[in-house]
Amino acid sequence: MQVISGALQKNQEGIKPIAMPADFDNKTLTRFVIAIALKRDKQAFTSLFKFFAPKIKRVAATRFNNSEQVNEVLQETMAIVWRKAHLFNIDKGAVTTWVYTIMRNVSFDMLRKVQANKEDNLSDDIWPLAERNIGEGEIFADHLAKKHMLTCLEQLPQNQQMVVKGFYFLEMSQEQLARQLDLPLGTIKSRLRLALSKLKLQLGDDNDQASS
Amino acid sequence: MIRHHPKETLLKAFAGGELAASLSAAIAIHVDMCPLCQEKTAAITREQAMKSFGREALSADINSSGVDSCQQAETDYDDMIQVIVADEQIAPVPLRIPKKITLHGQEFTLPQAIANLQLGKFRHLGKLSRARLLLGEGPIHTSLLHLQPGGSVPEHTHKGYELTLLLAGEFHDEQGSYVPGDFMMLDGRHTHTPVSEQGCLCYTVVSDALHFTQGINKLLNPIAALIY
Ligand SMILES: [Zn+2]
Repeated sequence: MQVISGALQKNQEGIKPIAMPADFDNKTLTRFVIAIALKRDKQAFTSLFKFFAPKIKRVAATRFNNSEQVNEVLQETMAIVWRKAHLFNIDKGAVTTWVYTIMRNVSFDMLRKVQANKEDNLSDDIWPLAERNIGEGEIFADHLAKKHMLTCLEQLPQNQQMVVKGFYFLEMSQEQLARQLDLPLGTIKSRLRLALSKLKLQLGDDNDQASS
Repeated sequence: MIRHHPKETLLKAFAGGELAASLSAAIAIHVDMCPLCQEKTAAITREQAMKSFGREALSADINSSGVDSCQQAETDYDDMIQVIVADEQIAPVPLRIPKKITLHGQEFTLPQAIANLQLGKFRHLGKLSRARLLLGEGPIHTSLLHLQPGGSVPEHTHKGYELTLLLAGEFHDEQGSYVPGDFMMLDGRHTHTPVSEQGCLCYTVVSDALHFTQGINKLLNPIAALIY
């Protein structure tokens, strides 16, 4: 891979970059990912997709020699970006690195399928995309780890869901959320409070049922 | 303290997803236990991401793909985007269930990287026990090896080479002593006789030199240069 990208760079020496259709900085890319995580923002996803698609295809073409597989890497990588945007940790690195690691994982699993005839999708055990040992001792964070939590979350009004997801999944501060969603801090705080009391009630009810 | 680390070329191939699952898992386990290699791998990954997706990679795209194929791609992209966003589900945070095994009364928790692998039956020979991890990699054989206190591995050389990663306990050989996390790659030139006073559990990968990478990238990376 390095040999190839090195060669490409050499070819580009002295060539002025043509105006690029969409050259986003990390701040903009981060905004897109957050918009997907909080609002399922299809426009933001389209922008991300068009930004990364040619890059993903170019790297994938160094590993797979038919265009069908290259497209499969692209589709699978971006589908994970869409479904796991809420697991992206803004403090842990750039969006570019995150998408690269997703593509690396997808390619790894595909190569393994082709060469070892195994569909065990080991990549997520080898390179976990999300921290799974979420804040031990914190009862609430503990619940978050459970699938069940998501079901409860889905039952909340949309505007409360966004705040909870931003706060717990993306680990954004209430101030960051206020800026991102363009709402007064007070509104964020009251929505979070409201959402949490509802969730605690639901999760608490279920716990009682389980123990009786 | 961990004294034996994978070579940087190996870390690079690991970060790029170029190594076979057996070796990738070994490095993942080491990196998880070794803050030094953790930091190195993170830096390598960032660098690879920049090289692949960064600014200079972008200008390469435009020149190599040309305007026509770009427009062609745009329409394909729209279809693909529609398919992806039609899925309203979000993925839950995956739950990790630690996998434990018990050997001669001692309980071990397996590292996450190998927790979901199919484990064959343990075969015993004196104080030595070995079970295959069924990765389906043909000539690459991956195992868990357990020594009871006072156990040893008979002197042996390696036809291809052998990776030993100490998971728990301790052992020593002619070269010195080893602690959990130590990552040792040996080839046909080495002979050794590991002995464990207190018992240990190791992850081992044995193979012929040519089989360690996957993908067409291996054509670019002579494997011997990668490991030694
Ligand atoms: Zn190390």
